[in-house]
Amino acid sequence: MSLQNSFLKLRRDFNRWSWSTLLLLAIIAIPVITIFIKLFDGPGESWGHISKVLLVDYLTNSFWLAVFCTFFTLLFVVSTAWLVTRYEFPLRKHLEWMLIIPLAVPGYIMAYAYAGFLDYGGGVSQVVHWLGVENFKLDIMNVYGLSFVLSISLFSYVYVSTRAFFLTQAVNLLEASRMLGTSERTSFFKLILPLARPAIIAGLILVLMEVLNDYGAAQYFGVNTFTTGIFRSWFSLEEPETAIYLSALLLVLIFSLILIEKWQRRKMQFSSAKISRITTSNRLVLSNFGQFVILFWVLLPVVLGFIIPLYQLLVWASKTFEMVFDDGFFWLSFQSFGIAFITAIFTVLFALLLLYFSKWNKIYHIQNAAKLGILGYAIPGAVVAIGIMIPTLFIDKWMIEKGIATKFIINGTLIALVYAYVVRFLAVAYQPLESSALKVNTSIPDSSKVLGMGNFKTFFKIEFPLIKAGMLSAFILVFIDTLKELPLTLILKPYHINTLAVKAFEYASDEMVMHAAIPSLFIILTAVIPVIFLNKLLLQHG
Amino acid sequence: MDKILEIKSLSKSFDGGKKFAVNDVDFHINRGDICAVVGESGSGKTTLIRLIAGLEHPDNGTITINGKEVSSIKKVVVPEKRNIGMVFQEYALFPHLNVLDNILYGISKKKDKKKIAAEVLELVGLKDYHERYPHELSGGQQQRVALARALAPNPSLLILDEPFSNLDAMLRMQLRNEVFNIIKKMGVTAIFVTHDTQDALAVADEILIFQNGHLIQKDQASELYNKPQSIYVASLFGNTVQLNKGLKNAFRCPLKEDCCHAIRNEKISINASDCEYVTTAKILKRTFLGTHTQLMLELENGEHLTVVTPEAVLGNEISVGFNSKDVLAFDD
Amino acid sequence: MKKLLFLACFTLLLASCEENTSKDEKQEVNIYTHRHYESDQELFKLFEEETGIQVNVINASADELIQKMVLEGAQSPADVLITVDAGRLFRAKEKELLQSVSSSFLDSIVPTHLKDEQNQWFALTKRARVVAYAKERVDPSEIISYENLVNEEWKGKLLLRSSSNIYNQSLMASIIANNGEEAASLWAKALAGNMARSPKGNDRDQVIAVAKEEGDLAVVNTYYIGKMLQSNDKTELESAQKVGIYFPNQDDRGTHINISGAGVAKYAPNKENATAFIEFLLSEKAQAIFSSSNFEYPVNEAVEMADLLKQWGEFKEDKLSLNKLGEFNKRAVILFDEAGWK
Repeated sequence: MSLQNSFLKLRRDFNRWSWSTLLLLAIIAIPVITIFIKLFDGPGESWGHISKVLLVDYLTNSFWLAVFCTFFTLLFVVSTAWLVTRYEFPLRKHLEWMLIIPLAVPGYIMAYAYAGFLDYGGGVSQVVHWLGVENFKLDIMNVYGLSFVLSISLFSYVYVSTRAFFLTQAVNLLEASRMLGTSERTSFFKLILPLARPAIIAGLILVLMEVLNDYGAAQYFGVNTFTTGIFRSWFSLEEPETAIYLSALLLVLIFSLILIEKWQRRKMQFSSAKISRITTSNRLVLSNFGQFVILFWVLLPVVLGFIIPLYQLLVWASKTFEMVFDDGFFWLSFQSFGIAFITAIFTVLFALLLLYFSKWNKIYHIQNAAKLGILGYAIPGAVVAIGIMIPTLFIDKWMIEKGIATKFIINGTLIALVYAYVVRFLAVAYQPLESSALKVNTSIPDSSKVLGMGNFKTFFKIEFPLIKAGMLSAFILVFIDTLKELPLTLILKPYHINTLAVKAFEYASDEMVMHAAIPSLFIILTAVIPVIFLNKLLLQHG
Repeated sequence: MDKILEIKSLSKSFDGGKKFAVNDVDFHINRGDICAVVGESGSGKTTLIRLIAGLEHPDNGTITINGKEVSSIKKVVVPEKRNIGMVFQEYALFPHLNVLDNILYGISKKKDKKKIAAEVLELVGLKDYHERYPHELSGGQQQRVALARALAPNPSLLILDEPFSNLDAMLRMQLRNEVFNIIKKMGVTAIFVTHDTQDALAVADEILIFQNGHLIQKDQASELYNKPQSIYVASLFGNTVQLNKGLKNAFRCPLKEDCCHAIRNEKISINASDCEYVTTAKILKRTFLGTHTQLMLELENGEHLTVVTPEAVLGNEISVGFNSKDVLAFDD
Repeated sequence: MKKLLFLACFTLLLASCEENTSKDEKQEVNIYTHRHYESDQELFKLFEEETGIQVNVINASADELIQKMVLEGAQSPADVLITVDAGRLFRAKEKELLQSVSSSFLDSIVPTHLKDEQNQWFALTKRARVVAYAKERVDPSEIISYENLVNEEWKGKLLLRSSSNIYNQSLMASIIANNGEEAASLWAKALAGNMARSPKGNDRDQVIAVAKEEGDLAVVNTYYIGKMLQSNDKTELESAQKVGIYFPNQDDRGTHINISGAGVAKYAPNKENATAFIEFLLSEKAQAIFSSSNFEYPVNEAVEMADLLKQWGEFKEDKLSLNKLGEFNKRAVILFDEAGWK
């Protein structure tokens, strides 16, 4: 194709959706760009020290965290997702949704609870004491303990994506395979599992991103990771430049994860035209003993991921109830709830705009670029916060100088906070939206357009009703994540406003971890309701 | 005649120009004609109709509908402004709307909306199905709703993408005739894509053969059958035997050896001594196919040949032959 | 969808309105604080009741607050910066985030070694970093000093928290200031070699570990032991009862102390309120609350100490200029890393 043709084509295809997409991307990219521009200032003077003394530690710890979390998730979660989908056993219906509930427990709260539970005087030590052993303590304040704690607080991401696949795709294939004379077990390992790989890996990538981003739990356990390193060099060493270098390295790690995911997705583009779901009638029923074994196996992640931390928090809450629980506490919960609600709406809206504008734009490269918008998720919350503060302060100051405003309009208000949340959680909303949009056969919006409706009319009349379920789950996931978010909130939250997460963190960092139990419980309880709701949705729409 | 669709040097590539889906295609369709686009999957036929519908933007060339240029390197008219009807392979009925709402969806006229919808539904024989939802309909019924929906806005061009591929054989024949009777009755110009030549032969006024993004032949059905321009086209319309050197020798044909020739299976006669070229053969295997019998033959010089014959063949030794007028000759 | 959008805009509007009305009419003071104790809430409320000035609080780590103030520059709404160590106040001053305050009340109350030379910041409370020892197993007279903790006899017996903790960093800075960088580096390495376990948990955890015989000595802040003695958690209470408190270096420079302090922000929009607020925090009433509910040592000497503090007895403080803690903080962090003190 000649150069002139390429140019003409570009001019023809660069429509308003193209520039709208680019505009949205720019809004999202501002903090990242800010950080990369700052990268040119060079690393701080301690960079040599960090790269020499600490970097190996960060890398090995992050590596082991990733390995253990992957191992744990694959071992427990995929098997569990399959068991609740394929087999019938007592309590199955309840366990099905309870497996999603650990999503409601943030990593740092999980860390507080487990450290307490396994510490002197905790639940385990009491049981052991009763057996006659004194002063028992299981030390989990290390990288293995951290992997465990993060795994159980995050495994539900994989559970959700894998189970959705199992529910909708697996039964036909499985039955076909059984007809070909393959045993249930072989069918699972040779057919279902390889097919489920994209779903599993999609969930796993989310888990690993969260693991690499964790600050609260690693900080509490004293494990050096990239994120604690970023905080340390930013704040203790007072070298934002060095922190930015570490962030850039972390970004490289995350980018490689994303590339791996893309690559394996391209390699395996499975989709099954017919979707059918497993119903009670085609669930397998094992002998009593078999059912018991399954029940035990499925119960295990629920107990570890929810019952135990809940127990520990309740024990603490009962001791600190009178000190923490007062009128102000209701107001606090209400604020937390409200912020999460507003954030979820804006994030879903933004993700929708990005998804559809990029679709309506006809330029292939811009369509691809739109996917970059979700990378905000890979940037640690505190770094996003600073990346947003620098440019928005610039605008705020400019507006005051020009007399447009008399005080900061963006900083210290909900605008900067919600903006930062949107950047950070866009991926959380984008992915369920994208996958539910993918489920709508392209010929459906196409036929609407051929029938004379424009992009917007097609969206509101056809796509919107069809991806409602995806929108709702996107909303809920963002809602929960906002409720749990900590470092970004600490830096950008407005006056008068506090959140449950910040309150819990304040107590814990103030060595009053028992007091943190009540705000933690409130986070969990507030998040549990939408989580259950999410499960209902998953069951209805697959 | 009045050209309803005119396509000039149309090209479209994917993956950044690496793979051509449609490569330098020229043709036109006259008003009222039904035109079939035949090709294997991946031959570019679906891309072609998506280009016509405006769902894809061309890399090169132009598309003119009703005398108005709708796609070119400079400008692409959006699908919704093209007045085209389209029936998709998967029907693409809106799952959350009932049959009536599906039909009403594309009718832009404020007046008589309901009347038009009722008319088209009656036309496709589904007048009692207004309130049903797509998932409550059979495949054939969904197909008819899709057709009705595409016809309701009175399009100047109707496109059907593999309209019968999801149906079983019986239903397919019946529905095919029904659908094209309706189309003819309405006088709509239609272009339909299929990988099945039988569909094309049965209903199309003109057939376009696509291979690897190229339009390799465009003709009426009988012309395509009698004068295929390549062995590929010939083989699309029934089993064809390529006459290689060995076969030419076996039949003692005086055909040039370096030229490409073929003969249709049904033109090979059994026990026919009156043919121009005859040879004797031994039957290696018989396969009974109901109305026909398939014979695997070994010719005098040891060449193998498979033929299908409606006759019952007795004995193990037979003669086979054909006439020179039935030999197809190609350039390549 | 549209409804949701409307709701969101409405809520935002509401939030901004609420802020507007409250800001224009009322007297206020904006506090950036690293302290987040319940007792502080009580103090803020008391201040609001006494003066009618509304207290707006931003809670975050001092580092984050300083970054925020740097970025906000002249438009910063911050009036008062409160930290839990002197090093951060020093840093804030270096970055020209604070301003001098002239208050005869403050001059008379706060001793010179507990405030900035230019009166840019003032200590509010003092904390001593002491050695908590197992009463049953350790003869406290053998502890002697921070320097003596490297002694062979404590091998495998020391319990120390992470070096990322500001109290340890300040202690290290005081060692650098007193003994020189080289000696401090050797000290940190030797100390890391004497640890009973790799550093983890907070000050309370170190005390519990002593009680549970994981080690014999822990370096902790006094007020945590006070809080543990008041705890309704059995393990904490029993552990605190099993340890004794030893004030090291009584024979030479004195025990390392750190402070929680406050300064008025350079661009404070409510400077007078800010000064009044700091004066209030150093008033006898407020100081008594710091001491009684948080077990910190009061700066205002007129205030009677909490009974528990009295019980622990008088001790000699290291009178090292608190500025040094800030000056050497960064070196401390680097030396810790090099010593392998996690």
